[in-house]
Amino acid sequence: MNTIVNSRIDEKVLYEKLDSGLKIFFMPKPGFSKKYAVFSTNYGSIDNNFIPIGEEENLVVPEGIAHFLEHKLFEEEDEALFEKFSRLGASVNAFTNFNQTSYLFSTTDNFYESLELLVKFVQSPYLTDENVEKEKGIISQEIKMYDDDPGWRVFFNCLRSMYVNHPIRIDIAGTVESINTITKELLYKAYNTFYNPSNMVLFIIGDLSFEKIIDVVKSSEKKFEKKEENIKRIYTDEPKEINEKFIEEKMVTSTPLFYIGFKDSDLNLMGKDAVKKDLITNIILDLLFSPSSLFYNELYNEGLITSNFGAYFTGKRTYGHSLVIGESHKPKIVYEKVLNLIDKRGEEVLKLEDFNRIKNKNLGNFLMGLNSIEFIANNFVDLYFDDFIILDYLDVMEEIQYNDILKRFKNHFTRGNVVLSIINPI
Amino acid sequence: MDLKVDKIKLGNGINLNLIYTDKFKSNLLSYYIVRPLNREDVTKNALLPLVLKRGNQKLNTTLEVEQKLDELYGSNLSLTVNKRGEKHVIRFTLEWADGSYFNDDSYNLKTIDLLNDIVFNPYLENDSFSKEYVRQEKENLKDRIEGKINSKRSYAVDRCIEEMCKSEAFSLYSFGYVEDLPSIDEKNLYEHYKNVINNSPIEIIYVGKYDEKLISHIKESNKMNRQNIIHLSREKIDYDIEEVNVVRERLDVNQGKLVLGYRTGIPFEENLYNGLLIASDILGGGPNSKLFRHVREENSLAYYIGSMVIKYKSILLIDGGIEFENYDKTTKIINEQIEKMRNGDFSDDDIEISKKAIKASTESIKDSTYLISEFFFSQQLSNDFRSLEEVLNDIDNVNREDIIEASRHIALDTIYFMSK
Repeated sequence: MNTIVNSRIDEKVLYEKLDSGLKIFFMPKPGFSKKYAVFSTNYGSIDNNFIPIGEEENLVVPEGIAHFLEHKLFEEEDEALFEKFSRLGASVNAFTNFNQTSYLFSTTDNFYESLELLVKFVQSPYLTDENVEKEKGIISQEIKMYDDDPGWRVFFNCLRSMYVNHPIRIDIAGTVESINTITKELLYKAYNTFYNPSNMVLFIIGDLSFEKIIDVVKSSEKKFEKKEENIKRIYTDEPKEINEKFIEEKMVTSTPLFYIGFKDSDLNLMGKDAVKKDLITNIILDLLFSPSSLFYNELYNEGLITSNFGAYFTGKRTYGHSLVIGESHKPKIVYEKVLNLIDKRGEEVLKLEDFNRIKNKNLGNFLMGLNSIEFIANNFVDLYFDDFIILDYLDVMEEIQYNDILKRFKNHFTRGNVVLSIINPI
Repeated sequence: MDLKVDKIKLGNGINLNLIYTDKFKSNLLSYYIVRPLNREDVTKNALLPLVLKRGNQKLNTTLEVEQKLDELYGSNLSLTVNKRGEKHVIRFTLEWADGSYFNDDSYNLKTIDLLNDIVFNPYLENDSFSKEYVRQEKENLKDRIEGKINSKRSYAVDRCIEEMCKSEAFSLYSFGYVEDLPSIDEKNLYEHYKNVINNSPIEIIYVGKYDEKLISHIKESNKMNRQNIIHLSREKIDYDIEEVNVVRERLDVNQGKLVLGYRTGIPFEENLYNGLLIASDILGGGPNSKLFRHVREENSLAYYIGSMVIKYKSILLIDGGIEFENYDKTTKIINEQIEKMRNGDFSDDDIEISKKAIKASTESIKDSTYLISEFFFSQQLSNDFRSLEEVLNDIDNVNREDIIEASRHIALDTIYFMSK
């Protein structure tokens, strides 16, 4: 059992790696009523091309299969899994995003029994032709629910404008057509490849005992024959260049929505370097576009943007992008103004005193985030798969210098790597 | 940890509620200003927090306010209006990381003063709100009102309520109406604001760490001497249903949105209301519920389907997203499940599971500064001063007969269906 401590924020994380290859992390939270556990695999919608375990040739899977698998794992041969969790008073859920699939529960009671259930169900897939068919109807409704969401559409259109080949362009849930081609055989192939303990992590947070947690997991986990360390994921080359500059669609919505995307070419970073780049870029976006910026206030006063305006950067090893998001009656004018802003010199638009102010803001925001068990758990897993432990976050923040900001601004925010996506009302 | 509140009366109709806890890394302060929900004032109420956020006497512009919040280590400000039954609640909340992390003793006081300024000392020009601020925020509010169509699911729920409660204040849309905007200006809005401050019940709630110095400071800066505080009426919940009202709305959507509104006539003040909460959970509360199992899992008709109870109006709502052509099939299954509830066709397991679910979510109020604040405000608003433990006990004491009786009160009033 090992411990990582950060006394500045008054938190610690205990961890252990089991013989199966599974790593368990635990953050004690004395005094909190809720206990939370998340069991994640480093497998998401972008992992659509891989060599299945035990095979030689690569397999390109139908769009939406990681998400489909997430739904199916809740199926049990005997009793409804939901009912088992409910009887323990635990609230269970799951989600799939671009990079990971996570199965989680929260509860105020019966934590260890629920943990046993979590480990067992994620490790025992039960797939039949019949239950695969049945799920297609449900997921079709989920897809259609998202199809009616202009916020979701303007986002995905922006991704498609930026990326030429990269599987981030694919709808996480797939399409009604693509999910119809999913079979139980394909699901098992994906499962057996990616749901391997060494590709997964278990994170737990609450007022609990780590010894007991380890005991429960050891006795519940499946005994795997082989420790598969290296999963071969295949990525087609993604060019630096954007796909298309502009994409526009109409949907039932009141005000036009827009997403401005800046495609990142500073890739292949992991761990602290990736987190640092992430933070630097987000600090720039804060300085340029947050409510405490000149730009935001000018455009707001002119009625060009509403308080639903913001920006963030997100990136992983093989992709990254900054997004400037909002709603406006004149989205193209907002876009022009953003371009004029990034044309300027860094020293002019990113002032040192503002930089220091934003650093203070981030410090407070991070501390407040630590109040929320869900915030910690979700961010822990996300950062862990990037080889980074959340406790070190503030240390990286302290390291960032004003020059880092200037350099990144020059390289990442250019007219060459920018796209515009708009959804207009019908 | 037991949640305890220390209540201090600061004046007629204004109370300070203090909840001490050191388990969070932050402190939270909320002002709740309560108005009656009525057609005449609804839009003005919605406009108030938008204008107040723009500036105060010390920090005249949004830029200055936002930069100040950044400097105060990213303090989080939120201002909203909300419907609670037929009351319109304007909430001002500030949450900030505790000063102990920054070796800054005065920081906690600075944040409290900032919120106080925002609520009570708005930026004024010529003895009225800024003309420009009001003009801009009217535009923004217009966009927000028109934006309700963007989230189809919540729009469908609002529409069902609007139809069902046509002649009741509860049908009003919380952000108001576009047609009210032209007649609102900086002068009459400021008059309305003064009126609101002068006669509304106000609850101030503090959650987190505090000491004598901080408390004295809050008390001193919030003492008010007001004469007439408005009275807020309890909502009418008993309605005769002559026939079910079916409303269809055509929109260019991919998925049908179905909402069914039921009257129960069970006041939340009565013990039977606990039975209704459990009945609603067994019916459509979570993945163990009848609606989830039959509509979604067995028949693949929906991805989301569920039920909820609206406390102050004793209304039960069921909503789901389905294929257009499955309207009849889905409504049939929903009716069947309600019949089952009326006939006691649910297991002891179902009862236990629902009790556990409701108790777990109630317990977890303790884990959020915001939910703690809401819990104590809700006590005040509903005149229900049961502690969290008492609330949990009442849920525990519900029996099968209560659930069946509550279910027999559920009567279909309105169906709303959005389709292409």
